[in-house]
Amino acid sequence: MGRQLIYVIFALCAAMTLTLLLILVAEPVAGAGGVAHLVFEGMRIGGDGSARLESIGSLAYGFQALLLVLIVALATLGISERHRTTRLRAYMLATLIFSLFIFWRMVANHLQFLATGETEYFMGFPTATAWAVYGVWLGSAPLIILYVAGFRQFIYTEEDEAAFNQLLAETTAANQTEDKN
Amino acid sequence: MEAYRQEIILAAVALYMVFCVVTGLWAMRRTTSSSDFFVAGRGLGPIVVSLALFSSTLSGFGFVGGPGLVYSIGVSSFWMITISAAGYALGFFMVSKRIRMIADLRNCISLPDVLAARYGSELVRLLVAVTIVLGVMGYLATQILAMAVVMQAILSGTAMFADIGLVACVAISSTVLIFYCVTGGIIASVYTDVVQGGIMMVAGILILLTAMSVFDGGITEATSVILKDDSEAMMPWGSAGIMASLGWFFVFGLGLAGQPHLVTKMMMNRNIADNRHIFPLSVLGYILAALLWVSIGIIMRATVIDGLIPPLDAPDDAASVFLTLFASPLLAGVVFAGLFAAIMSTSDAFLNIGTAALIHDIPKALRGKAVNNELFWARVVTVLLAIVAALFALYSYYADATLVALLGAFGWATFAASLFPVVALGLNWKGATVPGAVAAIVSALIINFGVQLAGIALPYGVSGGLLSFVVSLFLFLSISLITKPPVLESDIDRVMDI
Repeated sequence: MGRQLIYVIFALCAAMTLTLLLILVAEPVAGAGGVAHLVFEGMRIGGDGSARLESIGSLAYGFQALLLVLIVALATLGISERHRTTRLRAYMLATLIFSLFIFWRMVANHLQFLATGETEYFMGFPTATAWAVYGVWLGSAPLIILYVAGFRQFIYTEEDEAAFNQLLAETTAANQTEDKN
Repeated sequence: MEAYRQEIILAAVALYMVFCVVTGLWAMRRTTSSSDFFVAGRGLGPIVVSLALFSSTLSGFGFVGGPGLVYSIGVSSFWMITISAAGYALGFFMVSKRIRMIADLRNCISLPDVLAARYGSELVRLLVAVTIVLGVMGYLATQILAMAVVMQAILSGTAMFADIGLVACVAISSTVLIFYCVTGGIIASVYTDVVQGGIMMVAGILILLTAMSVFDGGITEATSVILKDDSEAMMPWGSAGIMASLGWFFVFGLGLAGQPHLVTKMMMNRNIADNRHIFPLSVLGYILAALLWVSIGIIMRATVIDGLIPPLDAPDDAASVFLTLFASPLLAGVVFAGLFAAIMSTSDAFLNIGTAALIHDIPKALRGKAVNNELFWARVVTVLLAIVAALFALYSYYADATLVALLGAFGWATFAASLFPVVALGLNWKGATVPGAVAAIVSALIINFGVQLAGIALPYGVSGGLLSFVVSLFLFLSISLITKPPVLESDIDRVMDI
């Protein structure tokens, strides 16, 4: 994936624009964005979770999945084309799969709760929410690890640094000559 | 100690403000040029940059508005913070390296400077600078107002200042802010940010520990109380629903790389190689500070539902009521100092980029050169900008809140929508063109202002920010793809290859 990456990103953005438009024109569900709490002023409630997802659930899940792909694609774009090796591409693919797995577990647990009304708790939160709270943070961990551990291999190699220092020296010298003239 | 609660809080805040003033005086001696004033001479170490970066990300909103949002809509607002690690990742992968390189090569002191060099376009410089000035006015006014309201709440609890007015509080807080920003420029800002960041991290950890002790069953009992009342509030999408949550996920995930006050800090480090330390440190700092947001919000919603405390007058009271009821006076003092720290660290960053836009970028775009004696004018305009923002804040409070609300909305989402494509994609794709950049900025401004001015409520909680961001990304890419690829200047072309 070299120069084509920008077309992948464009396709993702086009798909997200289309998905958002479909959501905006979908049949509205009353209270989909929450309604006022009956007892406590200032609080809002979500009400019937299944009803809120009825018209747009699949579209919204699709939007989030596209967003996760977009994040990995954009991070890859941020790596110089020369360093996008097969190993890097495999790592980015694994990162994406990891993010999508977390997303799937969160959605699956939420849907299971909507069906049964039962949930386990993990570190203070209902399981579905725990996937959202801890999982989404963890989903970025591979990118942090790549940046820190692979910095000199993929982000800013010794050769990159030398090339930049040379460019800087040439520019400084040219500016000094210009100033003298 | 409980008898002196108010005095302890006041002392903590006063101590912090004295520290800011002293730092300003110290930094003044190190500020000898406009480059020092705006980008700290590009000589900061990794710990300073990382703390400055994360403390500027989490403004007073994180300390006041964040817990209030959890109280009001449950888990929905978590999406703003859980995506932060991915947001920082995109900022570092896509922006941090090349923005620093171009700044070094072209001696840039602002984001519009870098973008003018990248696109070879003064029109792009002008549009970005104008966007920044508009955003800065809204952000600064709301931050100054928040600072004054909190100060009034603290001072009015003491016998000596029981009747202090809001105008006096605006004057006191703005004076401290102006003093250290004018004397020490960005150097004072980043070194106060270091302490601000430290306070925010400590406050986040201590508040979490306090929150865990409110219910016998800890956070699990609190969340189960909320779940029994309204299960959706405690499920992943919260009360506000899936599209509101995904809107924040999108805007805060991608948008960090488009925030001018944050990416400007990526120009200030001594070495590009330091980025590998700055990135994880920033994420860690942000996560620790955000514990306050999550834990206070959860506990306050649960305690009200459980009948342990009466309902709050307003959701934004969540943090102050929590501190009054559950935190020791010392912890309350640390957190209130942290709140001022959060507000000031964001305000000083905005003052700095707003001043740069006014004295450097807009004149350069319109007449081809910046003002003479930039350092002198930087100090003058910093004072003027802060005074105008303070007056603007007071006007909105006493007369008409519409304008400041409008510009306040012109915050994170608008910067994200208008600047992310131009900055993050533009620094990584040679095919990005000036028409694409102009379309992205203009469409984002029109949609955001249009939705706000017309009071349009989009279905399913979809925000104007999300809509404008998606449209601006799409327009930027499609117009760049169909317009003629630009011929980049040689040094920029070589930077884009590194």
